[in-house]
Amino acid sequence: MSATSPRAGLSGPVLALLLVGAAVMLTPMVWTLLLSVKSNAALLGDSGAALSPPYTLDNYRAILADRLTSRWLLNSLIVSLGTTAGVLVLSSLAGFAFARLEFPFRRSLFLFVLLGLAIPEQAVILPRHQLFATLGLHNSYPGLILPGLTGSFGVFFMTQYFRAIPRDLDEAALLDGASRLRLFWSVLLPLTIPAQATLGVFTFLASWNDYWWPLISATTSDYYTLTVGLASAQMNYAQTSGLGFLMAQAVFASVPILIVYIVFQKQIVRAMAGTAVR
Amino acid sequence: MASLALKDVHKSYGDTLVLDRVSLEVAARELIAFLGPSGSGKSTLLRIIAGLETADGGEVWLEGRRIDALPPGDRGVAMVFQHYALYPHMTVRENMAFGLRNAGVPKPEIDARIAQAAHVLEIEAQLEKKPGQMSGGQRQRVAIGRAIVKQPKLFLLDEPLSNLDAALRTRTRVELAQLRQRVDAALIMVTHDQAEAMTLADRMVVLNERRIQQVGTPMDIYARPANAFVARFVGSPAMTLAPATVMPGNDRFARVRLAGGAEVMTRVPRNGLVDGAPVSLGLRPEHVSLAPAEAATLQAEVILVERLGDRTFVYACLADGLEMIAQDIGSSAVRVGDRVGLRIDGDAAHLFEADGTGRHADAAT
Repeated sequence: MSATSPRAGLSGPVLALLLVGAAVMLTPMVWTLLLSVKSNAALLGDSGAALSPPYTLDNYRAILADRLTSRWLLNSLIVSLGTTAGVLVLSSLAGFAFARLEFPFRRSLFLFVLLGLAIPEQAVILPRHQLFATLGLHNSYPGLILPGLTGSFGVFFMTQYFRAIPRDLDEAALLDGASRLRLFWSVLLPLTIPAQATLGVFTFLASWNDYWWPLISATTSDYYTLTVGLASAQMNYAQTSGLGFLMAQAVFASVPILIVYIVFQKQIVRAMAGTAVR
Repeated sequence: MASLALKDVHKSYGDTLVLDRVSLEVAARELIAFLGPSGSGKSTLLRIIAGLETADGGEVWLEGRRIDALPPGDRGVAMVFQHYALYPHMTVRENMAFGLRNAGVPKPEIDARIAQAAHVLEIEAQLEKKPGQMSGGQRQRVAIGRAIVKQPKLFLLDEPLSNLDAALRTRTRVELAQLRQRVDAALIMVTHDQAEAMTLADRMVVLNERRIQQVGTPMDIYARPANAFVARFVGSPAMTLAPATVMPGNDRFARVRLAGGAEVMTRVPRNGLVDGAPVSLGLRPEHVSLAPAEAATLQAEVILVERLGDRTFVYACLADGLEMIAQDIGSSAVRVGDRVGLRIDGDAAHLFEADGTGRHADAAT
């Protein structure tokens, strides 16, 4: 099938339906963007003022000047990148081990990992909170990053990917005198880059958007991530910081996500289509 | 001194025995083909020599050094895999350099060896390409190149031609024959294709049912198969094995009677054969010909005609249901359904005893 044929095959009603769908999805975004470039004072009386000029970038200037928002952005970046790096390292090593190494209780352990997929976060959040409190990990970066590293999905995903790589390559490398580490690092790991990209993007997005655990673990605003920080701003009942400022914060928070989506769209689409493993 | 020696090598997977006390010696620079049907143990044997499988017992020696406990990379063997197993993310040059870098070979020497191998294999223009950008035949050459640069004492080739189309297969077969002239090492090739084995190998090792059935030169195995399995497995079309009984007599050579009553005088020495013992009369197609009724040993009905241009194979069914294959001239007029006379060349016939042991026409007479 050629790349253009799906588009050529679109009928009028389908196109109309897609346009309506796109409009429904885009309207809140455009509305948020418009509100963010209006002064708080102009929106105080009627938010409909967003539809007409004058527009201003004052709200964005205020964000950049606000020490806390920058701090939250930095926190989100540290936590999301830390979690992503940790998940990739651990999942790759565990996936290689489960797919390629022989060790006692390998199958039972893998089953144990799979069980992790069936346990919702809600079920463990209280004991985790108590454990982290005992260890004094709340209000710290390790406290925000560590829970994200325990997910089973990455291990499962990477194990399946390693299993799909022909064993001939391992054997060729062994005959080429490669050690296990060299086999992993020089031969197999480079072949998993598409899977790493997919897993990395999803881990980053999930971590960036995570709200619940940072809300529990970070109780001082210095350790808020952007999601928790913005939510705390919304609880400002009198909206003294203003609707325009709030919307500018929302746009500001979604910019990194947007960049990730644009840069990694190929991997995201491939993962969605379920063809991540070749 | 033998280049490679296998002594009593055996291997089981759980309760399933896959190799039963295999012993073999391979001379320096010899090209050996392991030939056998699927499940005969030929690939397992190759993998045990390579170190990719561990034997349950027995010894593997290469040029005077016992290697069966060494890791694959330290054995001095190189292998060309059936599906090539080239590293897809590396260029051809990197593929060839990988093993040498692991062995600590200095870079100038790596470059020199790659340049030389690339020249011999005519892949100089492909060195910076990745395997995915190359054709099957080119990948095959790279796989061979990767083995050559290591300058191993023993080359192992696992079904080296099976992934190539017919034209490329013939060409690569010639190239493999040329390659062995250039390398100072023994070669072992696993194949289930007897044409490949017969055209390339100095000696063939026919395996079946976990054991070596026969070791010998291709013509020796074709002309004097050790048992009924080898007789039927080597040669295309396969040898006909007709049930028969040894007739009493004082002749030097055995005379047998086929189930249908026809008698055949062979050149197989009688000594040791018991009168009346059941045997199988082994006949290659070239030793059965079409003949007029008065000169024929047997009458049969033609059920299939295979025309190969220079000759024709005629599959004919005897009255007792036995199928026999005869060879006729290329322009044979015979057709399916014809009744034909078959003349058996008893001088070239083989006899197989009830346990399968082969007896052959006395070459000295």
